[in-house]
Amino acid sequence: MSGNDPTEPREPTGPRSRGRALLMAAVVVVAVIVGGSLVVAAGSDDGDAAASDGSTWPPALRAADGTSTATATRHTGPQGRVGQFVAKCQRDHSAPDDPIVFPGLPGRSHMHEFYGAVGVDADTTPASMLAADTTCDKPADRASYWHPTVYDHGEAVVASELDAYYRAAPGVDPTEVSTMPFGLALIAGDMTYSTPQPGESVGWTCGVRSTLSDEPPTCPESAPLTFLLVFQDCWDGEHLDSVDHRSHAAYSTDGECPDGYPVHLPQLTVSVTLPIFGEGHDLSLASGNVYSLHGDFFNGWHPEGLEREIDGCIRRDVVCDLRTNRSEPTNLEDLFS
Amino acid sequence: MTARRTRSLLAGVALLLGASALAACGSSDSSDGDSSGTTEASGEGTTLAVPGDYKTIQAAVDAASPGDLVLVDEGTYNEAVDVETEDITIRGVDRNKVILDGEFKLENGIRVLETDGVVVENLTARNYKANGFFWTGSDRYRASYVTAYRNGDYGIYAFDAYDGQIDNSLGSGSPDAGVYIGECYKCNAVIDNVISENNGLGYSGTNSGGDLYIINSTFRNNRAGIVPNSGSYELCYPSRGTTIIGNIVHDNNNTDAPAIDVALLAHGNGILLAGAVEADVERNLVYNHDRGGIIAVPFPEEDANDLPLDKDEWDRPCEETRKDDLADPADIPGLVIWHPWDNTVRDNVVSDSGLADLGSGTIDLDGEITTADLGNCFSGNTYTTTSPTDLEALAPCDGEGSDGDWEAGAFDLLVLMNEKPEAPSADSWKTQPEPEDQPNMPDARTAPAVKFEGPTKPDLDAIEVPEKP
Repeated sequence: MSGNDPTEPREPTGPRSRGRALLMAAVVVVAVIVGGSLVVAAGSDDGDAAASDGSTWPPALRAADGTSTATATRHTGPQGRVGQFVAKCQRDHSAPDDPIVFPGLPGRSHMHEFYGAVGVDADTTPASMLAADTTCDKPADRASYWHPTVYDHGEAVVASELDAYYRAAPGVDPTEVSTMPFGLALIAGDMTYSTPQPGESVGWTCGVRSTLSDEPPTCPESAPLTFLLVFQDCWDGEHLDSVDHRSHAAYSTDGECPDGYPVHLPQLTVSVTLPIFGEGHDLSLASGNVYSLHGDFFNGWHPEGLEREIDGCIRRDVVCDLRTNRSEPTNLEDLFS
Repeated sequence: MTARRTRSLLAGVALLLGASALAACGSSDSSDGDSSGTTEASGEGTTLAVPGDYKTIQAAVDAASPGDLVLVDEGTYNEAVDVETEDITIRGVDRNKVILDGEFKLENGIRVLETDGVVVENLTARNYKANGFFWTGSDRYRASYVTAYRNGDYGIYAFDAYDGQIDNSLGSGSPDAGVYIGECYKCNAVIDNVISENNGLGYSGTNSGGDLYIINSTFRNNRAGIVPNSGSYELCYPSRGTTIIGNIVHDNNNTDAPAIDVALLAHGNGILLAGAVEADVERNLVYNHDRGGIIAVPFPEEDANDLPLDKDEWDRPCEETRKDDLADPADIPGLVIWHPWDNTVRDNVVSDSGLADLGSGTIDLDGEITTADLGNCFSGNTYTTTSPTDLEALAPCDGEGSDGDWEAGAFDLLVLMNEKPEAPSADSWKTQPEPEDQPNMPDARTAPAVKFEGPTKPDLDAIEVPEKP
């Protein structure tokens, strides 16, 4: 990896520097609710410190120099073993835009499904997300989440919503988890694959099952076809994005972040359930075949709101939300047959 | 602070800016503004008046110290309040006129995050996307004289919380439960004199029990009344040792109530022990249900994370079992059946049930466990119909059962579980009726805030079958 970019002298927002990070967040973004509407005044405490908190846009990108090849370690089993919060975000719209990979170039991307911040397009910035409405059930979650459009027998299939889980990654001390910097861009999975991707950063399953597969399985109606996106939980502490959109972040292994990525972030796991069940599906993605599965996260969370959730739920190791399977087998007779 | 989970707390974390910027400022639309007469209301602590001293409830809560009373004046407060200060009391001066309103935008009215000794009294939370009142990881919790209605998940919700009390309160119009206590063993909690109506489930408790008492309360016009259940989709399975005594449970067939999936499955039943074990159901008045009055049934779990614990492990506390290794996925069948074992049903008065006033049944993938094996017992009840027929003779609580036919009149559970009512719209909770004004706590403006040390075990023997209202 390269050394720090001297134009962005930032310290990681780890616990030791948390007080300052919080203070900066408070200074940078002063949000005042007046009659239910959010008015945001953006500024910075010093000129060059704003670059990696999204208040100056676009940010300087880190070179494509990432060295970590680790893949995601997932939480499995019953929810509630570690503190978490979960945002449920309705699908907002489809568009051939990608404000991370093709900023300012409308129509340049393959087709995406967008959730979270309303009206995201190629010109979207962190500030515009923060000023927008959200489809998420947590009002502070103005982030945008998107994935390539899924096609079954050539017809687009849209999910109604996604669940975004935020937890300390397995083995990570939750008190060591820092907030995600405003404007952070992350991509889980790799669209360039036409064969199975290594590891479990992305995968297919049914409903809330724990097992992942490379191939979309045949699922019952009670647990329809679902895909997971597990995002990086380690950050270089400096760059909101990188030229390859990966080198600024990495996955932890056994609770440890690799060298050069000193900041533990929440592990974001996105679950998208499609209205697909039964035999005979023939899936493809706007990005290619099913192995090209990937998804994007663009952090437009209200900084104070995100910090409040991370502090109250992750660092305190508290289950603030559950998205568990309180559903029933659709047809018991089928299961017994 | 309990030691049941390994927790490392950051000391002295103060959230910036005081009140959450996401919680709209308290828009007190009516206030007498006089807090001068309320300072005596606090015991040893200080009284923080809202909006007199602090404009928002959140600001007052953030400024409070253990022992303090946050006394909220009449008005509507569009806030989502997080509480992280131990041993404080948040109280409204008038239960029906101090209203936290989420306006279908905010998540929780009051959320208590791993913070012990937080008492909420004498106010209302409505129109929240998640819960009206929510304690998670927080012990010595108490909700008294609170009203929760039209909330998107639960009305009053205690999760992974111990030593609690919910009393003189109302939960209405939620698709999950009006009142919920889950993931705790032994919970040491009391639900006393509450009303739960127009919900998917009147009471729900997943994987909870042990000194858990649901007494002297009314569960009416929900889709199902009282439904403790087990499942490995959450921790601390199974539900065990829930005591349900002296309640009025009636007309839980409400097709206009909102519903999650399990509420549809449970629809039309009064007290449904869904894979719950060792529940004690006594001296309840149960009537007018489309399906069953008091029924023990299995809880089928598809894609389970784990297998049920053996009986000799039921007494292990949650703090232990939550750390257990899960079964090898290869050993977990596609459908896990949580059987309802060893429940006691006695001296209840049950009538006007569509299928059976009393019932017990299970299904088994391997055909090895039958209803006769379950160990549920039924004695001293007033009833007309049972399933199987002659259930009290087949399975008495004292002495040996008869050699009767367990097949006669038995439920066809496969058929019943597949006959669910049509699901309501996902937004149906938003249009549930507003409850009538509810009684206030005594002396709300002047009563001292007293540290809550945990519930007192109720005098169960003194509870009689309630009169029909």
